[in-house]
This record gives sequence, C-alpha cells and structure tokens, in this order.
Amino acid sequence: MIKFVSIKIINGILVLWGVVTCIFFLFNILPGDPATIILGQRASEENVKAIHRELGTDRPVITQYLHYLNDLSFISVHKPYNHKSLIYLNPSKYSWIPLFEIDKNYAVVLKIPYLRKSYITKRDVSEILIDTLPETAILAFFAICIASSIGIILGIFAALYKDSWYDKGSFIFATVFGMSAPSYLVGLIMAWLFGYKLAEYTGLSPVGSLYEYDEWEGQYISFKNLILPAFTLGVRPLSIVIQLMRSSMLDVMSQDYIRTAKAKGLSTFQIVVRHALKNAMNPVVTAISGWFAGLMAGAVFVEKVFNWKGIGYEVVDALSKNDLPVVMGATLIFATIFVITNTIVDIVYGFLDPRVRIK
Amino acid sequence: MQEKNPILEVCGLCTDFWVDGKYNRATENVDFKLYEGETLGIVGESGSGKSVSSLSVMGLIPIPPGRITSGKILYYSRSGVQMDLTKISENWYRKIRGDEISMIFQEPMTSLNPVMKCGNQVVESLRIHKNITYQEAKKITLDLFEQVQLPEPEITFNKYPHQLSGGQKQRVMIAMAISCNPRILIADEPTTALDVTVQKTILELLKSLQKTYRMGIIFISHDLGVISELADRVVVMYKGNVVETGHVWDIFNRPRHPYTKSLIACRPPLDKYLRKLPVVSDFMNLSETRQTDPEKEDFKIIFQNEENVITPEERKKELQKLISGERILEVKNLVVKFPRTKTILGKVTSWITAVDDVSFDVYEGETLGLVGESGCGKTTLGRAILRLVEASSGDILYRKGNILKMTETEFRPLRKKIQIIFQDPYSSLNPRLMIGDALVEPMKVHQIGRNYAERKDYVMNLLKKVGLLEEHFYRYPHEFSGGQRQRICIARALVLNPEFLICDESVSALDVSVQAQVLNLLNDLKKEFKLTIIFISHDLGVVKFMSNRMVVMNKGRIEEMGDADEIYNKPKTEYTRKLIDAIPKGDFTNSYFAVS
Repeated sequence: MIKFVSIKIINGILVLWGVVTCIFFLFNILPGDPATIILGQRASEENVKAIHRELGTDRPVITQYLHYLNDLSFISVHKPYNHKSLIYLNPSKYSWIPLFEIDKNYAVVLKIPYLRKSYITKRDVSEILIDTLPETAILAFFAICIASSIGIILGIFAALYKDSWYDKGSFIFATVFGMSAPSYLVGLIMAWLFGYKLAEYTGLSPVGSLYEYDEWEGQYISFKNLILPAFTLGVRPLSIVIQLMRSSMLDVMSQDYIRTAKAKGLSTFQIVVRHALKNAMNPVVTAISGWFAGLMAGAVFVEKVFNWKGIGYEVVDALSKNDLPVVMGATLIFATIFVITNTIVDIVYGFLDPRVRIK
Repeated sequence: MQEKNPILEVCGLCTDFWVDGKYNRATENVDFKLYEGETLGIVGESGSGKSVSSLSVMGLIPIPPGRITSGKILYYSRSGVQMDLTKISENWYRKIRGDEISMIFQEPMTSLNPVMKCGNQVVESLRIHKNITYQEAKKITLDLFEQVQLPEPEITFNKYPHQLSGGQKQRVMIAMAISCNPRILIADEPTTALDVTVQKTILELLKSLQKTYRMGIIFISHDLGVISELADRVVVMYKGNVVETGHVWDIFNRPRHPYTKSLIACRPPLDKYLRKLPVVSDFMNLSETRQTDPEKEDFKIIFQNEENVITPEERKKELQKLISGERILEVKNLVVKFPRTKTILGKVTSWITAVDDVSFDVYEGETLGLVGESGCGKTTLGRAILRLVEASSGDILYRKGNILKMTETEFRPLRKKIQIIFQDPYSSLNPRLMIGDALVEPMKVHQIGRNYAERKDYVMNLLKKVGLLEEHFYRYPHEFSGGQRQRICIARALVLNPEFLICDESVSALDVSVQAQVLNLLNDLKKEFKLTIIFISHDLGVVKFMSNRMVVMNKGRIEEMGDADEIYNKPKTEYTRKLIDAIPKGDFTNSYFAVS
C-alpha cells in the first residue's frame, strides 16, 4: 500500500512538471510585450529595457524557463549576495528558510513558490489567488456536494425502478437541463426565476458574493447567496451522476454476487446498501473527483452571471487586460488542484476496491 | 431411501421466459421429489430447464422476464409445516433462503462480492438468520473454513475473493451455503468451471459434508459422469421436460429414454478407442422429445460393433507409420517468461516462468494431446507456437524453418498454415459481423479467391462441411448456440486451408453431448483436410480420445510424453495418476454397454 501511494505521488509531481512546462511555453509564444503592458504605449526605450532586465525577458527562452521553474519550486537555488542577478534572493519576492550554501555564491533555500506579480496592480499573484480561491473552492465544493449526494440517491432509485415514470422523468431532466442547456443559460434562468420572480418566497437575491458588506454590520458571510450559483454549477454534474449511478447500479445488480446475496436471504435494501453500493460507487467516485478542478474552471461563467467574486471572475478580468502572471498563476492553481484531487482519488479508489492495489 | 419423507416436492412446474416479444416455455410439468439426506442429480444440456427448476425452488427466477405459470413447489420446513413456495410472501421466503434452502452457483469467480472479505461474506449469511454477535459468527465461520478445508482459516478470513484460486472460492461459497445448517443444498454446476482435479476434491467435500449434516442435495450438471460420483437418484431433463427419473444404478444400467442413453454413450470411453463418438441424434429424432425413434433403437450395434472400435494393434500401426513420417513441428528447449514485478522505471525484477525448457516433436498427420491443469503452461505453449506470446529462449522449427527467428513478413505466410481455435466460442466472434463476413475476411487478407462471389461459394461449402447450413452465412453470432459457435470458429480456422491446427480447450466450455459432436467433427475434418493437430485440454479423457501421442504438462514442464494409450494405462508419474483419477468415471459408466 505504501508503495502504491508513493508511486501515485511521484506520478502527480511528474504531471505537474509537465503542466508547468506547457504553461510556460504556451504563454511565452502569446503576443504582447510585458513592458508595454506595465508602462503603457508611450514608454521610453530605457524604461522598457529596464523592465525587461528586471523580469529577465531579455534572456534566452531556456534561461527564462529555468528561472520560472526556480521561482515555482519549493526548493530553489539563489545568489544571495548578487543584487543584479535574476536569482537574487529578494526579500520583496520571496519568504524563505535557508538550507545550505554552495561555494559561497549560491544558496539553496526552502521557500513558498513565487508566482510573480501582476503587471497591472503590482500585487503578488499568490496574494490575489489566495484572496479569491476560497470563494471559488467553496462554490465548487458545494456544487459537487449537491450533485453527488442528490445524484447518487436519485440514480439508485432510477436503477431500482427501471423503466418507471420516475426513471424516465429523471432521464429527461438530466438530458435537457444537465447536458443540453449551457451553464450560463441555466444560470440566467435560475437567477431570474428564484432570485427575482419567486424572490418573495425564496428570499434569495439574483446576484451576490459569499462575503457581503452591510452599512451597519460591515462584512459578513452570506450562505444564502451560495444556493443559486452552487445549484447552477452543480446541475450538469448532477445529471451525469444520476445517469452514471443508474447504469453502474444496473450493471452491478445483474452480477452473480448479487444473486448470491439474494440467495442468502437478504432484503433488497440490505443488498443495495451492503453489496451493490460499494461496487457501484467506483466509477461515480472517479468521475466526481475528476470534476472538482474542472468545476472550478467552469465556474468562470457562473461567477460572472451571479457576480460571485471568485478566481474565475479575476481570471476573466486579467485576460481582458493581458495580465499574464495572474492568468498563468490561476491556470497553474487549477492544474495543481486537478492533480492533487486525482491523486487522492486514486488512493481512495485503492482503499475502496482491493483489486486496484495489486497492479 | 423411499420410505423416508420427502422434504421437497416439485409438482407440474411450468415456467415461461419472455424472449423476443413472446413467452417461451422454459420448463414444462417438471416433477421431482427430494428426500431427507439424499442427493438428487439433475442432468441435462444447457437450455434443458435444469437451472430454471432449481432457481424456482430458491425463488430466484427474475420476474419479469420469467414467470411461473402453474405447478407447486411443496417444502416441508424444519418446524414441520408444509408450504407452497410459489405462493408464500417475499418476507417469508427470505427467512427460508440461505437458512433452510441454500445454493452454490456455477461461477465461483463472480459469485462472491469482490470488495468484501471472504470471511465477512459468510459472517453476514450467519447473522441474518441467527441472532448472534459478530465474534460468535466469526468463530463459526473459522470452524466452517476448517471443515471445507480452506488453508489457514484465520488468514483466508481476511482475504478478498481475487486473492483465492477458483477452487478455494468455491469452498468459501460452500461454507456460506452450509453455514446455517440448511435442509436443502442446491448445487448448480458447482464444478463445471473448475479443473478436473479440483472438481474431484470439491465433490468429495460435498459428499463428506452431506454425511455430517444430513442435508438433501440437489446436484445439477450437464455431465452424467460427475452426477454418478455423487447422486443417489437422477432426474434427466431434456428441452424443459423431465424425461426420466430413477435410481442412479437404474439410470446407468437400464436407461429407458433414448436421451439418457445418448448421454451415457457420448462421453469418450476410457477403456477403448472409438472411431466415432455416439451423439444425441444417433439415438433419437431431435424434433421429438418423448418418443424413441424405433429405427435408431439398435444404436448399440452402431457403436459397439467391431467396426467402430479401433483395436490396439491398429493404433500401434498407425502411430508407427506417423513416427516414421516427417516432423512438421520441432520445439526445442522452449522457455516463456512473463514479468511478475517491475520497478517504477519498468525494469523487471522477477519473472514467472510459464513454459520451462520444453522440447517435443509433432509428426505430420498426427494429433498430439497436451494435457494439464490450468496454469500448467499448456495454453502459453500453444500461443508461443503462433508467436502470439514472445518466447524467451529456445527454438520452434516448422518444416525446418525457425519460427522464432523469422521477421514478421517471413512469418506471415505461415500464419495462414497454422491456425488456432480458442476456448470460448462466445467471446471470440465479433458480435457485429455476419458469420459469412467473419469467414470471408481472412480469405481477403490472405488473397485467397479472386472475388467476393468466389469466396462466398467457398465459405458456404465450408459451412456445410462443419455441419451448419448455407443460410447461416447471413446470421449473427448471438443467434447460435455454444456448439454451433464452436463450429463457426472451426470453420474460420479452416477457411485458409491450413495444415496445422491448435485447438486450445476448444470443447471445454461445451456440454458433454455437444462436445461429442464437435470432437467427431474435428476428427472428420482432420481426415478431409489432412490436418496435423495439437489438442490442448485439461480433460485427460477427451485428450486420450483425440490423440495419437500425449504430452502431460505440470508447472511449465513436461511430466511425461508418449503413446496416449500407454500413458493412460501405465502412468509413470504421480501427477499423471492424479489427473487420471480425477476423471469422473462413475461406477456404472460402462456397465450398460458391458451387458451387451
């Protein structure tokens, strides 16, 4: 089991490295000169050069790449005494714990990955992301919770009452609202219907963030505002979970060991809970977990519709202003979350299904 | 036995199944009784309704598509109450299932829950019916594991099904079935998916358990040989009807129904060699279920006369002639290894040796039998000859050319000449391809025949030769029975006009009665196409019937090799003796014919 877990973790790190490489080269070939973004169109040549020198964008691409990796790594190499060097251990950039020195010029340190600064606001990208990430994560998390808890239960019933009106009804719901309708459309309909038309009964507002400001109370957390966006974001996964759980359940219920369980004298409820569920959950768990990061990325539209101040909101903003460090940082964060959740899921999967472990 | 009280009476049971828009009769007026402490064998081919009858006793027929249209299943419960199982409520039924009536299924591989520890599956069964704690149930389970002879009960208790062998899984199933000390145990083909040697131990286990627990056993099988090892009385089923019921001795010695007679006759006899195995159609008109065809009554004469028996002298002569002929295939010091564990970088750290330094020759026109338990390397050996698996070292010479040293282009013409027939006729045909097209395809690949019409003519001709009809050209695999599919697979192998055929467990998945037909077919085709055959099987009886010489394999090595008859009569090694002992003979198998 330890070997299984460590292999999964090493795999995850390798994937992340690949992602970093892709992000770097992708954004490197994008048009747009950082110096003009920072200084504006009418900047003097000297200032432009100075910016290039500071960012290291006048160096060869491969040097830039290594520099980027060094910035992102937890353990990195720096020149602590050379102020002009690109890898000068600048306290305004990094916060670190020194590990050891190599021949007096180089120092190896343990540090928090440095995502660089926004071209526009000059704030640390990590700071921006840390501010906005929780909002998106909470949104995605609740969307997943809604989708999986409701979806699994509805899916089980659809399988047990196969071909009934209930089964067909859930299928129509899933295909129309979940698959066919785009999320911004569903979002607009939900906001209009529950946040405006039926607002008297639901008490919900069509837009709003997790943190609300009030003239008398100051900042407060509003979970009420979470309901509509989380539902909107969760509708697609919900309908996939229903369908997935239904087919997985139908498949498991026709297995020989279910017949064995029946022959033991178990009731249908006992068979479903003790024998079928654990077997049927595997494909669903894999699917759900893979979506978490995907949902955070997908939250971009929903956040825009509901004016939810999350990471997606920030990315859309940054993209329109060509603020590359923010976009790169956000992409990297999505990728990291993706890899981490997948790794955790693989390990959980190993616990759920003993057959996976032996490979 | 007859004075005892019956514990189960099935009277006039009729069941239907909804297939293709209409109800098809699965069983019709099935009657049988089970007495206390007796073993009742139900025998019949697949589709004869034997499984349906037993499942209806358990109340496990899926409704829909199934339904019970009429009849009664009377059960005399532990407390002495008589009840009709077709009428009782589901709640009541659940109390009986697993407690008073329990069942063992055919597929031990899939009948256990893969994500639950073996021990807990038995514990669960105990705790549903008995008011006991987990610890008490665990203690009983460990006792049961001891009784069914599972190795190290404490460790096996915590193992998952995939960590056990097929035989061990079936033992867990048995432990589960007998856990509540049932009155009736239904065993539905419990050994069909297992090796002969494992089958023997399971049958012995069931016998001894019955003595201890005094339960009534219903034992279902397609193989009268297996039934004869265990049963007191036998019910013979054919196309949903019970055609004969009687004491096992009577069934074997005075069979009345032609179908019973054919079942007894169609297993390859062990004491003599027949040119042709008797099949069901030799005994009865297949469209009629109940009547004996008077013209076919004299089958004894057909099959037991001297013309059908190959004398030992004749066999010797034939073998001599073959051995003096040319060697078509020479296998020299062949080794096949598979990686067992790998490091993260893919470097192999340990190997499993599937075929270990094996050498033998095959002469032109002979049938070489390859026999051994599953996992002995016989299948790997067969595939290595076709280069379907990579050999690690050694040589394989085909007509003096070294197959292992050829490039893929050099080997391609040989692929046409060497063909293989696989074990499972269900999964080796593409379900979306018409039979005809599946057969024409290899001809097109190897550029045999000038155009489609010519190839189609050839294929239709071939279909007739393997005992199918021309119109089957346009059908799809699911429309055929297991035996017919295996015929299709044979036709596919023969379509390229090969000279060398490898049959890998080609009849193991078939009913005994169908197996006889396919074996006869193979022998006929061998003559017609002048084939050389390597016949691989775990069943020594079948291998002996088919082959001139025989190779016995164990753990990747050759145990012994030589004249098939000699090996059977004078086995040199302990392992071969074990294989021969494991063949279900029954004490009566030949007595019916011995009388004549």
